Amino acid sequence: MADYDRRGGGGGGGYNNRKRRVRDDDEYDRRPQRRPRYNEPPPLPVRIRKQLLTLAESPLRRWHEEVQSIAHIVADNYDGSELKESFLDLVGLMVLEQPLKIPFVAAVVLVANSLKGEIVNDVLARIIPRTEDKIKQGEWRDVKLYLKFLACLQSCLEGDGLFPVLEELFNRAVELQTSSSEDTIGTELVKIILLTIPYIMAAAPGPEAQQKAADLMDKTEVIASEPHALQVLIDPFHTPDGEDSPTANSSLIGLLQKQLQNEATNGWELSCLPRPWKMPLEEVELQEKMDNAQKHALPVIAIPETVVAGPRPLFPEIYFSVYVNQEIESVPSVTNIAASLIRDGLLDTINLLDFNRNVTARYLIDVDCYFADGTFIKRATPFDRLRDIDGGRSTWKPEDVAVDAVFSQLFQLPTPEHKLVYYHSVLTEACKIAPAAIAPSLGRAIRQSYQNIHRTDLELGHRFLDWFTHHLSNFGFMWKWTEWVDDVELPDLQPCKAFIIGALDKEIRLSFAQRIKGTLPEPYQRLIGPEKEQDTPAFKFKDAHTPFSAEGIELAALLRRKAPDEEMQPVIDRIHAAALEHSIDPLVSSTDVFMTAVCWVGSKSLSHVLACIERTKDRLLDIGAASEAARLQIITSVVTYWSAHPGTAISIIEKLLNYSIVTPGAVIDWALVSGKAGSGGEALSKAWVFELVFSTVVKVTTRVRQVATSGAADGTAEAEVTAMRELFKSMEDTLVSWAQGTKDQMMDPAEPMDGAGGNREELVQRWGLRWLRVFRRRSAIEEAYLLTATANQQQSA
Amino acid sequence: MRPDFRNTVERLDRPSAYYQSRNKNRRRNDRGRDDRDGDAEMKEDKPEEQAPEDPLAHAATLYVGNLSFYTTEEQVYELFSKCGEIKRLIMGLDRFNKTPCGFCFVEYYTHQDALDCMKYIGGTKLDERVIRTDLDPGFEEGRQYGRGKSGGQVRDEYRDDFDEGRGGLGRAIQSERMREVDRHRDRDQQMEDDYGRLR
Repeated sequence: MADYDRRGGGGGGGYNNRKRRVRDDDEYDRRPQRRPRYNEPPPLPVRIRKQLLTLAESPLRRWHEEVQSIAHIVADNYDGSELKESFLDLVGLMVLEQPLKIPFVAAVVLVANSLKGEIVNDVLARIIPRTEDKIKQGEWRDVKLYLKFLACLQSCLEGDGLFPVLEELFNRAVELQTSSSEDTIGTELVKIILLTIPYIMAAAPGPEAQQKAADLMDKTEVIASEPHALQVLIDPFHTPDGEDSPTANSSLIGLLQKQLQNEATNGWELSCLPRPWKMPLEEVELQEKMDNAQKHALPVIAIPETVVAGPRPLFPEIYFSVYVNQEIESVPSVTNIAASLIRDGLLDTINLLDFNRNVTARYLIDVDCYFADGTFIKRATPFDRLRDIDGGRSTWKPEDVAVDAVFSQLFQLPTPEHKLVYYHSVLTEACKIAPAAIAPSLGRAIRQSYQNIHRTDLELGHRFLDWFTHHLSNFGFMWKWTEWVDDVELPDLQPCKAFIIGALDKEIRLSFAQRIKGTLPEPYQRLIGPEKEQDTPAFKFKDAHTPFSAEGIELAALLRRKAPDEEMQPVIDRIHAAALEHSIDPLVSSTDVFMTAVCWVGSKSLSHVLACIERTKDRLLDIGAASEAARLQIITSVVTYWSAHPGTAISIIEKLLNYSIVTPGAVIDWALVSGKAGSGGEALSKAWVFELVFSTVVKVTTRVRQVATSGAADGTAEAEVTAMRELFKSMEDTLVSWAQGTKDQMMDPAEPMDGAGGNREELVQRWGLRWLRVFRRRSAIEEAYLLTATANQQQSA
Repeated sequence: MRPDFRNTVERLDRPSAYYQSRNKNRRRNDRGRDDRDGDAEMKEDKPEEQAPEDPLAHAATLYVGNLSFYTTEEQVYELFSKCGEIKRLIMGLDRFNKTPCGFCFVEYYTHQDALDCMKYIGGTKLDERVIRTDLDPGFEEGRQYGRGKSGGQVRDEYRDDFDEGRGGLGRAIQSERMREVDRHRDRDQQMEDDYGRLR
C-alpha cells in the first residue's frame, strides 16, 4: 500500500532538501522563533493553498467533500482581500500547472458560485484576458487548458457558453487549412476544439448542447479526417515496403473525431471523465442550489485575424501506444475517447511539470485518482490477472496507461518538448515510487519495442536504446537477458542483434565491462571481449613488428614530456622518408603514428587526451587541412585506438570537430563511405556509428540555427547554410546507394560476414533505407526552420 | 518570470542554500567550498530573495557530489552529455594523492543545460550511486582539491557509515581505528586488509 502514501502539501520532496549534519553554525537557529502556537491554525490563505493544491490527490477523501470544504471557506471569507487574491491566483496557476485537477478546481468554483455569485465573475475576469494573451502568443497548450477549465464551468455560463469561442477558433482553422496543405496551426486548433467538447458535454449535458456539438463536429470532420501532408514524415514506424505501418491510421485528430462521434451516438456517456460537480444523493439540497445558481455571461474572447504558431514548431500528431495488439486491453483502445482524454491530461502534466520529475511521477502513479471511478482496475494488478476480470468491467491498468504516455513522448517525432533525459528521469522516479506496479509494465513495453525494433524509425530505435540502458543503470543493470538469448546467435547485421550489441556498449560506458559481464547470462559473455575490460588500450607501436614502431615510441615520449613541436618534426620527417620508400602516403603514415601517440599519451582520461590535443592542435590543424586522406586518418587512428570503447572515441572526435581539426563532412565520409567503420555496409548496423553521425549532424544544424536566428548579415549564415545543405546532399547520395544496393562495397565486402549469407544484401539495403529516412527528415525540418526564421526576420524588419 | 512568482510545486532547478548561507556566513566560514555535502540545507519553501547580482543567474557550471572515487571522467561524460554538450569537466582530486575524491565540476555551454541537468540528472544514479548536483558560479583554479584534513572532501572525514565507493569509513574515524588496529596488530590483522580493499 506504499503506493498510496501521500506527499505533504503538494511539495514532492526535492533531493536538494538535505538535512544539516553540522548545526553548530546554523544561522537560522539564531533567528527569532516565530513558530505558531499549536492551537493556532495556519492563516486562511495558507490553508486554502494547501487544500487546493492537494485536491483529489487522496483516494481516501471524497471529491464532493473536499470541493465543498474549500468552496465554503472561500465564500465565507471572500471579502478578506488576501484570501481572495491568493485564491484567484492559484486557480489560474493550477489550470496551467496541474491540468489533471482542472475539473476539480472548476467544481470548487461551481460550488462557490452557489454560495456567492461574484466569485465566478472574478474568476472569469482573471482567466479571459490571460486566454486572449495566450492566443496572441500562440501558446496553444495553455489556450487548451484555459478552455478546458471554462468548459467545466459551462453549466454556470449564460446562453451557449463556450461554444461560440470554439466556432470562432474553427473559422481560423478553416482559413489556414484552405490556404496551405502543410498548415499545422489549423490542425492544432481542431485538436483543441475536439478536446474541449467532451468537457462541455460532461459539465452541461442536454439536447441543446448535443446539437451544438454535432454542428461543430460536422465542420471539423473535413479537416480531422484528411491525413496531414506531414504525417508520413513523423510516423514512428518505418515499415519495409508493402507492409502497413501500425500507426498508418492514427492521426490524433482523426481518431478524436471518430471517438467523439461514437460518444455522440452513445448519448455522450464520457464514462472516464470525473464529474466532481455532481453531488451525491445525500447532498440533494446543495445540488439544487447549484442547479439554480446565478448564470454569468462569458466575456468575449478576442481571437486575432491571424494566429501564430508560437514558440514551438507545430507538427501533426500521431497517437502512439506500445501496448497495441494485446489479447486483453490493458490500455483504452484507439476507438475509445478515454484513450485521447487520459493521454491528453497525462501529456500536459508530464510536459508542464518538467521542473519537478518527482511530482510528475507521482501524478503518473496516481492517474486513477483523477478519472471517474471504475475507469481503471486496481493498481498493480498483474497483466495475467486481466483475463479474470468479469465482462463489462474495465481492464485498463493505470500503470500501463501512465507508461504508455511517457513512451509516446520518447517515440515522438521530430522531437518531444523536453530533452529526452527528462522522460528517462520520469520513468526512473515512477519506478522508484512504485516498483511493483511500474516495473512489470515497463518490462512489457520493452519487450514490445524490442520486437518492433526492425520496423521502428531508426532515430527512435536509437532513443529506445539510450533510454533502456540509462534506465537499467539506475536499477543495478538488471534485465532478463535470458529472454533474448536466441538472438545472440543472429548475425550482427540483424536489428535485434545490433540492438543487443549497442545496449551492452552503452551499459559499459555508464559502468565498466566487468560489472556488466556479471549481469549477463553465459551466451552473452563472448560479446564482451577481454579488450573491453582493459582501461587503457595497448599502444600498437610498442610492438616492434608494427611499422614505424621506433618512431611511435619516440613521438609518444616527446609528447609525454611536452616537448616543443620542432623536436617532433625530425621524427615525422623520418616517417615520411620511409613511407615514400615503400610508396605509401607519407602524411597518412605519419598521421597515424602521431594521432595514435596522442591517444595513448592521453589515455588516462578525457582530460589528459584533451590537454594533449590542445598542446598539439597547430600540428593537427595543419594535418587536417592538408588532405582528405589525412583527415580521415585522424579519425581512423582515434577510433582504432579506442575500438573497444567507441564512446570515448566519439567524445574525442566531438572535440576534434570543435577545434575544426576534422570537418563534419570528413566524419560522415569516414563513417558511411570509407568502410573504416565496418566493411560492406556493416557500419550502418552499428549503434555507435549512428550516434557519431547523428551528433555530428546535430552539431551542424545547431550551429546553423544559431547563426540564422542571430541574423548576422555578414554572410556567415549563408556559408553555414550552404555547408549544411552540402552535407545533407552528400549523405543523401551515399545512403541512397546503400539503400538501392548500388554501393560498390556492398557486392564485395572486405571480410565475408558470418552467418548473414544470402540475406546480407537485403539487410544492408534495409539499414540504408532506415538511415536515409532519418536524415531526410532532419534535412526537411531544418529547411522548414530556415523558412520560418527568414519569414520572422522579414516581418520584424 | 516575476521575482515573487511561485510555482504550485517546488522546482528542482533552484540552487541549494549553499551559496546563500555561505555569503551570509562569510566572515566566520573557514570551510572550503567543496564540503557542501555536509552542510547544505534548503530554506523552507520561501520565495528566494533575489540578490541584486546573483552569481548563479547565468551559471552554466554544476558541482556534482557523492561520486564514487572510482567513477571515471568518461562515465561522467556519458551521463551528463544527455543534457547538452559538455564544455569542460574537472574532477575533484585528493589534495595529496591527486586521485579522484568523489566530486567534480561539469561546465556546459548554456545556463539552460545546467538547469536541465539539475532537474533531470541530479538525484539519479551514476555508477550506481545517487549523485547530487548544485548550480555553481564557475570553476576557479584550486577548487578541484578536497579541503578535508586528509586531502579529500570534508564529508569524508567523519562519516561513520561504511561507503565502499568512497574509501570505506570516514578518514578520521578510520585512522583512529587504524591506530587501534596497530596496537592489536597480532590479534586483529584482518581488519586492516578490509580497509585496504577497493571496490
